[in-house]
Amino acid sequence: MYKYSQKDKTLINERVEQFKYQVQRRIEGKLSEEEFKPLRLMNGLYLQLHAYMLRVAIPYGELSALQMNKLAEISKRYDRGYGHFTTRQNIQFNWPKLIDVPDILSDLSSVEMHAIQTSGNCIRNISTDHLAGLTSDEIEDPRPWCEIIRKWSTFHPEFSFLPRKFKIAVTGSSADRAAIKFHDIGIKIVKKKQTTGFEIYVGGGQGRSPFIGKQINDFVEKKNLLNYLEAILTTYNQLGRRDNIYKARIKILVHELGIEAFKKHVDENFKIFRNKDLDLEDSFINQTKEYFKLPNLKPSKEKIPFSKDINFHNWLMRNSISHKVNGYSIILISLKPRGKPPGDASAEQMKIISKISEKFSFSEIRVTHEQNLVLPHVKNSNLLEVWSELKKYNLATPNLGLITDTICCPGMDYCSLATARSIPISQKITEYYQKFDKQNDIGNLKIKISGCINACGHHHVGNIGILGLDRNGKESYQITLGGSANQNASIGKIIGPSFPEDRLFNAIEKILIVYKENRKNSNEDFLSVFNRLGLEPFKKEVYDST
Amino acid sequence: MAKKLKGEFFFLSANELKSGKIVFYSKEGWIDDFKKATKISKEEIESYEKIYQAEETKCIIISPTFIEVDKNGEILKLRDKIRINGLTIEI
Repeated sequence: MYKYSQKDKTLINERVEQFKYQVQRRIEGKLSEEEFKPLRLMNGLYLQLHAYMLRVAIPYGELSALQMNKLAEISKRYDRGYGHFTTRQNIQFNWPKLIDVPDILSDLSSVEMHAIQTSGNCIRNISTDHLAGLTSDEIEDPRPWCEIIRKWSTFHPEFSFLPRKFKIAVTGSSADRAAIKFHDIGIKIVKKKQTTGFEIYVGGGQGRSPFIGKQINDFVEKKNLLNYLEAILTTYNQLGRRDNIYKARIKILVHELGIEAFKKHVDENFKIFRNKDLDLEDSFINQTKEYFKLPNLKPSKEKIPFSKDINFHNWLMRNSISHKVNGYSIILISLKPRGKPPGDASAEQMKIISKISEKFSFSEIRVTHEQNLVLPHVKNSNLLEVWSELKKYNLATPNLGLITDTICCPGMDYCSLATARSIPISQKITEYYQKFDKQNDIGNLKIKISGCINACGHHHVGNIGILGLDRNGKESYQITLGGSANQNASIGKIIGPSFPEDRLFNAIEKILIVYKENRKNSNEDFLSVFNRLGLEPFKKEVYDST
Repeated sequence: MAKKLKGEFFFLSANELKSGKIVFYSKEGWIDDFKKATKISKEEIESYEKIYQAEETKCIIISPTFIEVDKNGEILKLRDKIRINGLTIEI
């Protein structure tokens, strides 16, 4: 993984000292809240429903064992003993005190972490495929490119006050596991005539106006990646609306101008930038790639140990993926056990994951945008031991990709903007479908739940999406069907009027009955059946018989 | 803030600046226990606005808000109930 240079260390430490001084001045009354708010937001510090919330950056979702251990310590020392992994591969602490935040940032800097650009109208954490570098379906590992973009975008003077926040995702594989078409800029590594470059998408996003990103360029040369990104961001900075927060994202600009007109502006700017200051030289690219080399994995024919325990087999079936190096597996740790908020991990769990990764996965951990964790390189012969350890700490729920593996925003339990709770909905789904056979029979199904129209729970791209609304002071839930964030990106269609919570689960059951009755075989998943049948049969079953 | 308020009775709530903790205004100043909070009628809002503005200036609190309650002091909105009673979920 990337290691800080002396320059990086100096930069981060200076930032910690700067924020410490800003907090001191705020407490002494030398800064008003109006003056302080943008400063705290630039350091990832929000004020939520109950308390402050600190969002810490996990660049492209990659953590070391040491960093995970530090997050555990921070959660225990300064917070309430847990952290929440987010849909943008970051972590949030929900209860820090303002006076402790400079110390938290200082602790983070000791393990090369920070909270810079996790809020505000700037370029946020670059996200990527959680399987980057691990699978054979990849053209190239996207992480070095994420790091190159991260370096360029951190404290970029032109792009620190954009019209609105800006999110970039990169994938190196044709199977999109990074939801690139739902980012302001989505980057896909492609090969054209034996040359590797980038396909660029722009103007994707969710929120109150969801859009699928449009292709703006089918091939940008490697050396020009930053020049091209600079051209897009400059165009957005010049033309993006600053008069209306709801129309300020680049997706609205692209939609209103049209992709062709937007592209013309970008091309004009690109003429100014290309082959100039931001050209990427091979030596720099190769130097960056050095940080992301796989550990010394020795290909082998190592077998998975035998066990009679059906739970182990279920876990292997759902939570392990073949590594591109024979003899190793990629392990997905579910943070969606029964009765817990999706994405939450206790200090004890974080500590044990740190230890397991140290012992069995070369001290590497990844965070997925679906709020789970990954141990990227586990020897097959160690899988039974890893499972046994994870099981002791409620970390071996075999539900990856199943109905109980929900994505969920914090909802009204934490968030000031939410119009309804979302975590209790997720927990009730987990409770109802807890039996492995029941959920495995339903098969691959992504349920995503948002507590308001801002869509932090990605409901637009849920195969079944649930949006929490306020109907005359009562929580109400609207269902969408057919959304997908993968390479066949689609936005879910609203099935009809919303339901009070007590009728929501009945509606979900009916949707699943239609699915099960119409699937050709057990391998045809929910999304395929929906795409074949359309909305009508589901709508009829849900509303005609309600 | 007063112009947007619809109800008849309110509690004045805020977050403590240094800790972020939720507090309520009472005869004894800012307290944790909402049961001891001062019930404020709509007509009194303006005078309490002056109080919180002064408290903001003194860097005691941030994010002041009037919480709508009924005549018995029962909180009406779910968001406010969660804010006061805490999470509705097991952590």
